[in-house]
Amino acid sequence: MPTPILQVKDLHTEFLTDGGVVKAVDGVSFDLYPGESIGIVGESGSGKSITALSILRLVPDPGRVVSGQVLFHDQDLLQLGGEEIREIRGRDIAMIFQDPQSSLNPVLRTGFQIDEAMLAHNKANRKQARQRTVELLRRVRIPAPETRVKDFPHQLSGGMRQRAMIAMGLANAPSILIADEPTTALDVTVQAQILELLADLNRDLGTAIVMITHNMGVVAGLCSRVLVMYAGEIVEQGPVEQIFEHPQHPYTWSLLRSIPRVDALRHERLRSIEGLAPDLLHPPAGCRFHPRCPFRVEKCFTDEPRLQEVAPDQLAACWVTMERARKEMGADDLIDIRPGAGSGLRKGELTE
Amino acid sequence: MAEAALQQEPAPMKAGAKTLVRVENVVKHFPAGLGQSVKAVDGVSFEIVEGETLGLVGESGCGKSTLARLVTQLLPVTSGKIFINDVEVTKLRGEKLRQQRRQMQMIFQDPFASLDPRMTVGDIIAEPLVNFGVMRGRKRSDRVQELLKIVGLNPNFNNRYPHEFSGGQRQRIGIARALALNPKLVVCDEAISALDVSIQAQIVNLLEDLQREFKLTYLFIAHDLSVVRHISDRVMVMYLGKIVEVADSAGTYTSPKHPYTKALLSAIPVPDPRIQRGKRLVELSGEIPSPLNPPSGCRFHTRCPIAHLPTPCAEVEPPLEEKVRGHLAACHFSQDV
Repeated sequence: MPTPILQVKDLHTEFLTDGGVVKAVDGVSFDLYPGESIGIVGESGSGKSITALSILRLVPDPGRVVSGQVLFHDQDLLQLGGEEIREIRGRDIAMIFQDPQSSLNPVLRTGFQIDEAMLAHNKANRKQARQRTVELLRRVRIPAPETRVKDFPHQLSGGMRQRAMIAMGLANAPSILIADEPTTALDVTVQAQILELLADLNRDLGTAIVMITHNMGVVAGLCSRVLVMYAGEIVEQGPVEQIFEHPQHPYTWSLLRSIPRVDALRHERLRSIEGLAPDLLHPPAGCRFHPRCPFRVEKCFTDEPRLQEVAPDQLAACWVTMERARKEMGADDLIDIRPGAGSGLRKGELTE
Repeated sequence: MAEAALQQEPAPMKAGAKTLVRVENVVKHFPAGLGQSVKAVDGVSFEIVEGETLGLVGESGCGKSTLARLVTQLLPVTSGKIFINDVEVTKLRGEKLRQQRRQMQMIFQDPFASLDPRMTVGDIIAEPLVNFGVMRGRKRSDRVQELLKIVGLNPNFNNRYPHEFSGGQRQRIGIARALALNPKLVVCDEAISALDVSIQAQIVNLLEDLQREFKLTYLFIAHDLSVVRHISDRVMVMYLGKIVEVADSAGTYTSPKHPYTKALLSAIPVPDPRIQRGKRLVELSGEIPSPLNPPSGCRFHTRCPIAHLPTPCAEVEPPLEEKVRGHLAACHFSQDV
């Protein structure tokens, strides 16, 4: 295996609020290899976006990265000075956001904003920059790029704005592109076009992609590896086929079963996950998923599980794992998936 | 063309069920200055029978939310007729219309914006009862507690405020409010789109349970085609203010008769890497044209992969007609889809 291009080690990001300390990211570690495309999935509040923002030190106040390392080419991004990290942002590691409307400056022409990405890093003079901007817009399939460069953001549609953002992200040919829910605000048809575009870039230019999303379908199409986050922690990670076909963490398993599929053959009742995501001010003791987990055992209430290998390349943080839940608790035939339903451990049941 | 559609036998509906909503050639244009108008809904006819769930899908700007507001008469129609229970609601004004509203309620997309932050949950749910003078005092508060229980919340939450609840719980409060007056028709306008995946499943299951228990009829609007397929008996697809296809859920999804429906379906990412990787996208070039000045002929011809140009697709508007029993589509070449 080649050496990772980015290594995140034991990252902790906290928000100091009136109610206390919220551990939004609590000990996240992962490696990203050159040219790879990984997905970070989770629901709102799981810490997936804050993980991405922490990498580039963009965590908004009152949040701060309290410990850990983010190694990029052997330098720890968390230790760099303001000027040094600015050099990296947009040049080596670029980021695109969910809402292209608010990420573009409404009073500057779109083309100028893309030129700026290159000028800021002294990569080109104005003329070269403009040439490349037109090329980039063509590359992201904006029709008539020569005239579109002069448009203001409001003159572009939502899909085109997101393409312009991607063009800006690619301006300096970064080795890593972090995409934070880049298609969530878009229609499915436009989403499909953007995803195809990202897949092409990944393949043709070898740009490594970190895709942050709540949409399992998006991950299935684009990524080769996936990290599943819950309540600030990675609960499972591994190759995408492996995770989708043999999830070992009950959260991943439940999540995959709770999504209606457009290719479903018959109408089945959705298996919802009972309860709510935990309040991170007061995270549950033991495993953070235990208040909602159908397969929890005694140990889950008190001891926090660590990520460990459950199959080649696949890690899960669970005392039980789905393999045992299947064998001993009849997970596949379980219709009632209330907390503790599989293990019979109903005590301390969630009361809303 | 709408007349043509009306003469057709309606799509298969629950046998013997009675028509609850009948929409006839409804048009809604919004003035946009300079003598132009946004043709948000442009000649739409369909029916919803009692107890069914009719799904409505389409891209943003296709007119689906406008249509929802027309059906519930939150917006007046430009032309056309809407009947609810054989009463022509588009003709009603004032108090008579207000009384009709008891039968039709709406659940909105944003559970944060659709609940008044300064009202208690109990007051929010009781408001429809107060408005229509239904029940008083103890009886009313009992009803509120009953409704909270029905939607799976603790009945003692009635003194709390919306900010104390999560998105999914707030959506339950919105559902309780919609049910307060025992409506016949509930219009869900992107009612689950703002929720997390695991919570979406809870709300979809709740909506299904409530439908069974209270014999509700749903018009379920969403851009998430997977959820629509799951919950709907029939699905209607809109494009630029027109209905392009209506069929039962299985028909629409397994053998679409309109190229737009096919393209929409192919664009949905399936949470299965083996399928998703090998899938070929029906490349839908471009984006939805402006409803200020919709394309001539078939409105989809500018993006259609099978259009015969210029004629007939750019010249003749295809009528919404039955292609297979109970399966309506508006396409000149539906056999090629």
